[in-house]
Amino acid sequence: MSSTAQPPIAAGPPLAPGAPHTGIWPLEVNRGIYGVYCLILTEASLFAAFFASYYFLGTNKYRWSIDTPPKMLLAFVMLAILVSSSLVMMWGERMVKQRRFGLARAAVVVTVLMGLVFLTVQSFEYLAHWKTLTPFTDSYGSIFYTITTFHAAHVVMGILMLCYLAILPNYGPTKLPPHRAYRVVSLYWHFVDIIWVFVVLLLYVIPHFQFYGL
Amino acid sequence: MSTLTVEQRLSQLWETPKGVYGWFASVDHKDLGKRYLATAFVFLLIGGLEALLMRIQLTRANQALLTPEMYNQIFSMHGITMIFWYSSPILSGFSVYLVPLMCGARDIAFPRLNSFTYWAFLFSGILLYVGPFMGQAPDAGWFSYMPYTNIVYSPTHGIDFYALAVIFLGISTTGAAINFIVTILRFRAPGMSISKMPIFLYSTLTISCVILFAMPALTAACIFMELERRLGMHFFGVASGGNPLLWEQLFWFFGHPWVYVIFLPATGMISIIIPVFSRRTIVGYTYVVSATVLTGMVGFSVWLHHMFTSGMSNLTMSFFSAGSMTVSLFTTITIFAWLATVWKGRPVVTTAMLYAIGTAALLVIGGLNGVVTGIIPVDWQLHNTYYVNAHTHYVVAGTNVFAVFAGFYFWLPKMTGRMMSERLGKWSFWVMFIGFNITFFPMHIVGLMGMPRRIYTYSSGLGLQPMNELMTVGAFIFAIGILLSIINLFYSLRRGELAGENPWNSDGLEWNMASPPPDYEVLHIPTVSTRAPLWDDYDEKADPNDERLLSHARLTITTSLLDAIPLAAAAMPSESLVPMFLALALFGFFLALVFQLMWVCLAGLIVTFLLGCYWLWPRPIKGEL
Repeated sequence: MSSTAQPPIAAGPPLAPGAPHTGIWPLEVNRGIYGVYCLILTEASLFAAFFASYYFLGTNKYRWSIDTPPKMLLAFVMLAILVSSSLVMMWGERMVKQRRFGLARAAVVVTVLMGLVFLTVQSFEYLAHWKTLTPFTDSYGSIFYTITTFHAAHVVMGILMLCYLAILPNYGPTKLPPHRAYRVVSLYWHFVDIIWVFVVLLLYVIPHFQFYGL
Repeated sequence: MSTLTVEQRLSQLWETPKGVYGWFASVDHKDLGKRYLATAFVFLLIGGLEALLMRIQLTRANQALLTPEMYNQIFSMHGITMIFWYSSPILSGFSVYLVPLMCGARDIAFPRLNSFTYWAFLFSGILLYVGPFMGQAPDAGWFSYMPYTNIVYSPTHGIDFYALAVIFLGISTTGAAINFIVTILRFRAPGMSISKMPIFLYSTLTISCVILFAMPALTAACIFMELERRLGMHFFGVASGGNPLLWEQLFWFFGHPWVYVIFLPATGMISIIIPVFSRRTIVGYTYVVSATVLTGMVGFSVWLHHMFTSGMSNLTMSFFSAGSMTVSLFTTITIFAWLATVWKGRPVVTTAMLYAIGTAALLVIGGLNGVVTGIIPVDWQLHNTYYVNAHTHYVVAGTNVFAVFAGFYFWLPKMTGRMMSERLGKWSFWVMFIGFNITFFPMHIVGLMGMPRRIYTYSSGLGLQPMNELMTVGAFIFAIGILLSIINLFYSLRRGELAGENPWNSDGLEWNMASPPPDYEVLHIPTVSTRAPLWDDYDEKADPNDERLLSHARLTITTSLLDAIPLAAAAMPSESLVPMFLALALFGFFLALVFQLMWVCLAGLIVTFLLGCYWLWPRPIKGEL
């Protein structure tokens, strides 16, 4: 083989002050972020499959939703709760960057509480909705409750992750993994919130504005 | 400490404890890769035995060796086992073993996740096979179409085992895919920029991304199926506003990309093996890589060709017919690149090379008969006949099994440290190749004669019996060929010549270390300057200042995504039992879900969560950071 030898790319970047390091190398802290992005992509694909099924079930119907469209008020209240909880988490991330870990921890607790309020409001929404529509009524009820319940399950998962984050001993630069737990959990939480935006748009809002012809 | 050599210090850091604990707790990708390969191979043998049973039943017309019910269960278990539990996991086995070695890293990105995905794969397979032992195997084929599978027509637990085991396996597959993506993107050796990656890494990266987007569709479909079957919700029943085609759409949106998941890493292995034995680098590296990535992407726009007979608009069908033909272009590019490599090189005919060329030959037949079924009117004629069986077996069994055997003959000396017998290997190849073609080529003919697939027998007046007798004989010849290779493996483990570092004079980084590799694999993390690192003049191991020795803790180097500029040292976790227990808890959860024991399910979920918490709790790694 021809000689194409080039000088090696050996030495790493200079060490940042305050960042964890080992010997001459900075300590790697970003693997988990890559992992959680992959997790979010595959979870988003799961919801994409759900939404696609929602519309596929509507293709051979005279109107979709079959029943009266769901009321929007509570869904928007829940949207407001989740979006503001995401803002709280973003603020918490900024606090982590500024190394004000007490405030960051408080942000996690507030987000947990907002998540619990979301679930409470959702149970009221279910109670009201259940009088006219159950998962066993027809295909519309089945897919509607499946999507919203799976979203709720993701909220529960997010809350559990946030609780775990709240008791983790370390948020800042550390030599002990997990390294960027705060970022990982908040990314997941933002993802759960964004899914609710799609749920509100596709399942609650659009059925009110669809034109069915004659 | 100071009295130890660097090698001893690294061994202490990276070795897995001996004994039962170490066996269950190992997170070493070499152990797990070998286990993946062995477990998936056992599934191949189980699926193969089921196939032989079917062939015996079909040898003569009107035979009554198996009842129709048993035949349904056996062909379903054969398909499910081969498609889900053999063909993808065996390639994952190669990837788990080889990806870190090819990257020059000391382990995979998430070693404990790697252990979890192995155990989840094993336990999901056990979950699938609980059904048959209770006499309740899935019996609706590997794609389990609705409404066969609703609670009225399939009242046993068979379909529940299918749906839940597949969801469980999906968790394992997705975890492995995430592991491969992060490893390939971040753990490549310094200098191995994205344009210098071995093609096997490209194919693994492509299929891992495909899995992220395709697997959830199957998960969603199985969730709907279970909700309909066990809770009485409505997704597929027309009477309540459902649509049975929803299952087909979701299943094939997953199913066709999955075909490439079990195909691309196989071609990736062939793209490594053919250049090595042609004694030159691959012709058209860029084209082969582009073809690999494009196959993964365009693979998402062909799924409706499985459903041409279900009633669609002509425009839809034309689009998907065109998509199907487009994909075959990319495969053609790859095959011509292989041919050109052999043509321009100086080929050495080893067993691995024979299997690689055999794969290419079978892929050409399977590709051509596949293009034929992509033409809509032909598909209408051939749908649900043995012609489709011929096609699927040429592309799945042909390309996958023969490429896997090529991979075994090529990489087993690295894994075991001993060479396989070339003579027995060549016998095994020719017996398998001849047996394969005797079994599957006549399927084209009986398919064109109108023999439907998945029927337990046929009447004697149809003239199908001679061909079926021939196919049964071929199946047994094929099985004998596989048996010869198994004998060869055990022979080589005891008597094989020592392999040494690089028995094939190969070009990949995985050959730059002892066989089998030491626990720490590489003394100095290598640097790379060309696509064929071991064939150039550049010394990958050179590290005069010991910058990439990393012998003070369990560490490996991470690099930037495109240019592979070294960025940091990654701390790697040590052995742990938690991943296995987590997989076990999920096994309990899914098993309880089959039988609707909701409190046990809840307990399984809680245990899973607590184990996850324990897993992630900060604890120091081995060595001094």
